[in-house]
Amino acid sequence: MMEGILEYLYNPLVLSILVNMAVFLIVTLSLNLETGFAGIPQFGRVLAVIAGAIGAGAIAGRMMAAMMGLPAGIEYVGDQNFIIVGELNKALESSPLLSIGALILSLAVAAVMGGIMGYLASYPAIRLKEAYLGITLLAFGDALQIVGMYYDPLAGGTAGIVVPDVFRFVGTGEVRFLSSTFIILGIAILVYIYVQRLARSPFGRALKAMRDNELAAKVYGKDIVSLRAKTLIIGGALAGMGGALWTLYTGSFKALTYNRLTWTFWPWAFMMLGGTGNNLGIVLGTLVFSTIRSLIYAYKTELTTFIPINPNWLEYLLIGVIIIAIALFRPQGILPEKPELPLSKKKIESIRASLAKGD
Amino acid sequence: MQILAGPIVQILMTAIGFSGGLALAAAGITLIYMTTGTFNFAHASMTAWGFYIVFSLYKVLLGGNPYIYFPIAFLFSGLLGIVTYLLVNRWLLKRGADMVTLMMSTLGVDLAFFAFINIFADYLTATYKVNTRLIVLTTEDIILGKIGTFPFKAITVISVAIVVGMAIFFYLLLNKTKFGIAFRITVENPALASILGINTETIYLFAWFMGGAMAGLGGAILSLVISGTPTVGNTVIVPEFAASIVGGLYSIYGGLVGGFLIGMSQKLIINWLGSVLGGNIVVYEPIIPLLIMAATLLIYPEGLAGINWKRILSRSKSK
Repeated sequence: MMEGILEYLYNPLVLSILVNMAVFLIVTLSLNLETGFAGIPQFGRVLAVIAGAIGAGAIAGRMMAAMMGLPAGIEYVGDQNFIIVGELNKALESSPLLSIGALILSLAVAAVMGGIMGYLASYPAIRLKEAYLGITLLAFGDALQIVGMYYDPLAGGTAGIVVPDVFRFVGTGEVRFLSSTFIILGIAILVYIYVQRLARSPFGRALKAMRDNELAAKVYGKDIVSLRAKTLIIGGALAGMGGALWTLYTGSFKALTYNRLTWTFWPWAFMMLGGTGNNLGIVLGTLVFSTIRSLIYAYKTELTTFIPINPNWLEYLLIGVIIIAIALFRPQGILPEKPELPLSKKKIESIRASLAKGD
Repeated sequence: MQILAGPIVQILMTAIGFSGGLALAAAGITLIYMTTGTFNFAHASMTAWGFYIVFSLYKVLLGGNPYIYFPIAFLFSGLLGIVTYLLVNRWLLKRGADMVTLMMSTLGVDLAFFAFINIFADYLTATYKVNTRLIVLTTEDIILGKIGTFPFKAITVISVAIVVGMAIFFYLLLNKTKFGIAFRITVENPALASILGINTETIYLFAWFMGGAMAGLGGAILSLVISGTPTVGNTVIVPEFAASIVGGLYSIYGGLVGGFLIGMSQKLIINWLGSVLGGNIVVYEPIIPLLIMAATLLIYPEGLAGINWKRILSRSKSK
């Protein structure tokens, strides 16, 4: 029985659906925090994602290389990159503890990088409104991608770099991909629990108040500037971790792959499908979309025999039509936003009952 | 680097042609935004369709002179605008959808149009065995004369002429016709316009047609200035947004001026930087419009049209 399940999981298609879903879940949840809860039109999601990926791929990698006495300067991202990372991988393979430490270090650096980007984004976010803010954030994201693509000393430029395999502690080969998928899935679940708790906290309620009526929130003494800045920093840190996990999973970083469409607009589509402002909806939306994407990707060759067009364009067409259909027919998403109760229903009921008794 | 070696005259001519295309497309974004409140992401594909219409008709299907296909690019992208309005935008406006939903719906439209460009490009490749993934028409322009040893290309003149013509057209339309007055009332206050018996839907339809058509015409101009792939829309949409935002989003002329401001500074600054810091810097060209836009917005949060020019002028006069 157990072996049957494992065999099924080794299926590359299942793995690809799972890992895509987990990584995009983290990114989309962070987007939902900023857009769904705080009402910031975050059209520059890719900014924090790419910063996190660079943090994990280039910065944490260099830190590890420096700690082990390997060249960590410009050589790290240059033509010696492959050799240095090979050395690092050998060391990581020899000690599982070191490997776990490397994973934590990579994620921490990524979160810090993403948080810094969020902090930078808060500068325009306080001053600008709606379309102006959305496009400015979009511009920030594009600018960082261009720098990543062409400034070689940062992370290898167009050629990209390979990244130390911090998942070595779970093994190599097939086992590595399977286990790392589940680790990423676990991190995604933790992120979900975190943002869900955040949504239920006074902070989450203040964000929704700010989104619905900024003036009223101000009147009640909420500091809009600090709320926005905090949201962008937390959201940026989470998105950075998402980008980092993708880089760590694939074992390479290429700025070209961190484009506006994949890491800003796809999460937007996932969020709109699932339900803006509803974390559970985000899970559903991400699951549906990443399954469709992975299926189209996996059955490309088979599809070509049925339809006269390249399946790549089918993917764009399909996702475009889905976005339009959601906007037209179900703008609140599959699972619409509902008020988050600060405590569980049971607790509220028991408090209510005890209060009634007290009277 | 070839462009660096080129003398200032040639750089200027390319920059003017490029800016003209950008200005038209940016004014189209502004036109759609000021009437319907929709920030149109589909402008990317509408521009790219203009680009591909000129390429396919001139280079693959019919031949002749590239300029005779400009009106077709204009009409085709205008048609795309009408389709977007009738199928998507109209219903969202009726429902009173928020700005973000309006914006995202046009992203969906853009993805669909983008898919169609690629399917069309695949079809051309399969049927006519031409490369549709890297298009260079810049060398096929009509040469009007020579400045020194360098060819004086027709696109420089035509691009400016189209922009000026468009500005005059809008000036006459908005100020001298009944339709223009109805248009301005609708922009100011749609509810009041409906009460006065103005059919706001006609105004919105016109805005979407002209907005799309200007994107197509901008794309047609750009086809003779820059080389392109099916993703050309994705590359030029950012300077187009920048130009429209710098122009203030509420003035068609602002969009046109913004196009020239962004286009000229993008081409000229990068050439200047290239000559000072070396050719490697040229790859960062796309960042320049982003920086100009960000800087403008942080100083004037509502763009250049948001500045109260009259007050500044009267102040300087009183001094």
